[in-house]
Amino acid sequence: MAVNDITVKLDRVHKSFGEFTAVKELSLTVRAGRVFGLLGPNGAGKTTSIRMIVNITAPDSGSIELFGSKINSELQNRIGYLPEERGLYRRMKVADQLRFFAELKNVRGKVVEAKIDEWLARVKLSEWKHKRSMELSKGMQQKIQFITAVLHDPELLILDEPFSGLDPINVELLKEIVLDLKRNGKTIIFSTHQMEVAEKICDDICLLNRSQKVFEGSLREIKSSFGRNAVAIRCEGGDGVLDDPALVSKVVLHADEAQALLAQGADAQVLLRRLIDSGARIGKFEMMEPSLNDIFITKVTEHE
Amino acid sequence: MRKFLAIVKREYWQRVRARMFIVSTILLPVVMSLFGVVPAVILSIETGGPLRVAVADGTGKMYPHLQDAFRDEESQDEDSPPASQDARQEELNQARRGVTGMGSKSFQLTEVKADGRSPEQVKADLDRQLLAKQLDGYLILPPNFITTSEAEFFTNNPGDMLSKGILQRMLNRAVRQQRLVEANVAPETRKELFKTVELQAVKIGAAGEERDSGGSFVLVFGVGFIMYLAILMYGQVVLGAVIEEKETRIAEILFSSVRPFTLMMGKLVGVSLVAMTQLVIWGTAFAAFALYGVGLLESRGVPAHIPSIPFSHYIYFGLFFLLGYFIYATIYALVGSMVTTAQEGGQLAMPIILVLVVSFYLFLPVSRSPDSTFSFWVSMLPFSAPVAMLVRIVTQTPPFWQIALSLFIGFGSVLLIMWFASRVYRVGMLMYGKRASIPEAWRWVRQV
Repeated sequence: MAVNDITVKLDRVHKSFGEFTAVKELSLTVRAGRVFGLLGPNGAGKTTSIRMIVNITAPDSGSIELFGSKINSELQNRIGYLPEERGLYRRMKVADQLRFFAELKNVRGKVVEAKIDEWLARVKLSEWKHKRSMELSKGMQQKIQFITAVLHDPELLILDEPFSGLDPINVELLKEIVLDLKRNGKTIIFSTHQMEVAEKICDDICLLNRSQKVFEGSLREIKSSFGRNAVAIRCEGGDGVLDDPALVSKVVLHADEAQALLAQGADAQVLLRRLIDSGARIGKFEMMEPSLNDIFITKVTEHE
Repeated sequence: MRKFLAIVKREYWQRVRARMFIVSTILLPVVMSLFGVVPAVILSIETGGPLRVAVADGTGKMYPHLQDAFRDEESQDEDSPPASQDARQEELNQARRGVTGMGSKSFQLTEVKADGRSPEQVKADLDRQLLAKQLDGYLILPPNFITTSEAEFFTNNPGDMLSKGILQRMLNRAVRQQRLVEANVAPETRKELFKTVELQAVKIGAAGEERDSGGSFVLVFGVGFIMYLAILMYGQVVLGAVIEEKETRIAEILFSSVRPFTLMMGKLVGVSLVAMTQLVIWGTAFAAFALYGVGLLESRGVPAHIPSIPFSHYIYFGLFFLLGYFIYATIYALVGSMVTTAQEGGQLAMPIILVLVVSFYLFLPVSRSPDSTFSFWVSMLPFSAPVAMLVRIVTQTPPFWQIALSLFIGFGSVLLIMWFASRVYRVGMLMYGKRASIPEAWRWVRQV
């Protein structure tokens, strides 16, 4: 992996506030042009890590490199950051507001005007350009906030819980935009505790729990390393087979099907044969990949 | 630097274009002039006619002097040139007829002759008139009044302290006149003796004699007052501006683009420019008005002039005004960095006003002894320097190094406080949005 393929590199970064350790010995690598998911429960240290990457706060020890050099305030211009705690100037007009945020990234002039129109059209808010932000709905404001993060065409985009509170249509809209940015070669760090969303857009993930890294790698790798040890079953009869602890460690019942987690060393073929032998009528028998949620829970439990 | 300017620009335009700014710019002078005019109007309201006072002059010598005293007072009030003999006679006649003005209070004097009645009878008659409301009061001067100086004033309204005071003053003057007459002092000499004194303070500077340091002094007071006004009005705005990003939760977005110090400084400068804009608008309007007024007075032959003030003083006025404003505005910014809501900030900002008032009144001891050690230290301390140093400059200009040092300490403190505030602000935001105690704020400054 060449150095210029790496956008962000953290090396044994440590940060504490008084007695409380927010981030402990964190090392991670974000590769250029990929969507990197920073995942973990609330209070795991995601936001603190991000704040150190965008140079809002400095680590107590360890080093952070951006685009191959040590972080400094100049590099901030190449980052777009949508924090979890975000807002707009209530009395300022949308266009003025966007222009101001672009100026803070050292982007000004005609380029910005064109970009403002382009982005407003893209999130379907063109007619709100000259309205004060207090007149906008919460969802609209959130889309404007999203624009402030991308308006200056940053190489690295950091999104902290970007979809929280949005309706499904707008989630879909922003998700498309994020994937589009990725296709254009942007690097994206995506922080969330919603595993289902992360699962759909992340290439690489890093799991944080209790200030520490639990796992880092590509989503594919982690999924295949977990193997296919779950089976989705829909059948009539076959009672008792799923209760055998030698075969099945756990059964989760859904609306019209059951999800069975195979016991250690058990074979799905054996389970299928046992079901047929017991006279069950099988509608569905499918080997399943574990969900990111399952992996997360397993990993966190192991870690603790 | 460009980011700094972007912040200044935003703060400035957002506020100057706000309706609030436009309204207050127009309204404040109107309100101020109302405050100036209304009391004068109220005082000038004549409640009823002139005060009708009968004088029972037991000495037989006092009444003409009393009339003279009232007339002299009136002519002084109107500041008219000494009357010619004819006019004087005419005036005298008028006074005999009895109406004489006393600023906002006028008196109508009548002499009551005994005409053979006993003093008791005279008094009884006067009492009747008083009860019948034909008189407002009467004055009894006993025959030995000139030696005893004791007289009595009977009135149906003893609460009217103003009239009593005037009467007493006029009687004083009249009785002195009479005593001088009895000492055989010539009328010209008597006139000379009653001439009032005009006292003019003249400053002796290195350049020799300079007239009228009073003008500069009034201006120091004016600068101090405007500073006070600007701080009271705009301190809260600075506080609000600093809290704004916390309340709207924009701070984190901003910190990912600019350094907190740049942000805080930009806000302070932006808001200050708004304050200066407003003051310049008011100042221009006032100056135009004043020049017009002076011109008007001069064209009518009234000697009015704008006090002559050395040019260097104007520069010092400007510099120390800015210093005073910025010192206090930064303190407001610091308070803003420690709290989470404007209400909290308002409470925490209260002591600032106290310090401001105390520093303002320090001009009294400083003007009395501008070269004392006390004055020196007070003019070096950032909080009190602006007013104290200005007072020293217009009274006994201190050596230049002291002025320079005072400015250096002052503006240095501004930067230091801002740096301090920006650190507190950043850590405060990164923590959980709680208000900082002072030891906490100190710890935060050393953190990050």
